[in-house]
Amino acid sequence: MHPVQKHLFDTNFRDLSGTKLEGTIALSDELINLGILDFLQQLQKPDTDTPKAKSEAPAASSAMPNPADLLKMVTIEEVKYRTEAGRTMVDIKAGIK
Amino acid sequence: MPTVPAPLQVLLDHPSKHLEGTDIQLVLPIGRSLLNEVLDARPADTPVQELLLDPEANNLVNLHLGVKAPVLGSVRRKITFRPKGSVSFPNQPWLHFDITDGFKMFDKPIIKLMQGQIAERLPKGIELTSDHLRLHLPALLTSAGYQALVPLIKNLRLTSEANVLILQLHLKA
Repeated sequence: MHPVQKHLFDTNFRDLSGTKLEGTIALSDELINLGILDFLQQLQKPDTDTPKAKSEAPAASSAMPNPADLLKMVTIEEVKYRTEAGRTMVDIKAGIK
Repeated sequence: MPTVPAPLQVLLDHPSKHLEGTDIQLVLPIGRSLLNEVLDARPADTPVQELLLDPEANNLVNLHLGVKAPVLGSVRRKITFRPKGSVSFPNQPWLHFDITDGFKMFDKPIIKLMQGQIAERLPKGIELTSDHLRLHLPALLTSAGYQALVPLIKNLRLTSEANVLILQLHLKA
């Protein structure tokens, strides 16, 4: 894991407290489909790496953030999902406490 | 070197195409410890022995720097910068920092004398004089392989508060 990513996980993103995001994020259909494909491929990967993954589980789990703790830090004022021809749009107003 | 996930790589290669319609404002306060974690992760061939940032209130940032400089040898300085103005494309590509304090008595004349050599040794896109530091964002993004992101950055501003460097970014595709 990249040291910056590890630091963010270890500190539950505390060093990004006060972050604000507002506007529209648009993603092309091609990108969304690539993301779905990549996600499915990731789901299939553990089958071949199961023994290794299990042996590394204690170290990995200490580095991963607790999703419940992360969600407590996020404030979402607005999320509006919509689509236009060839793309997915998300209007968002959110931040990190 | 960590591999970039395929969708992210596609996005970075053609951001204008895959993000068309995006218009987003981001305020990103970066805490001191995260900031220095990012600096620690710099490439091993960076000609800097020590690099630490210490953001202060009143829009001042202290840079603790250790370098091997020509003639002077190993040099350590605490230099204070004041971020000034903002980057906007295509008219204002430079991120400008005034140097308000930190150079010792003979530093400034030496820097002035050796301006040509300093410019040659610094990576393309970084300009250092005795009074200011300027970063040419398109050149730096291009050398990092992210040239396609340049037209998306409508505005970028850095400011400082105690222990926090604040990045304000307007992206539009």
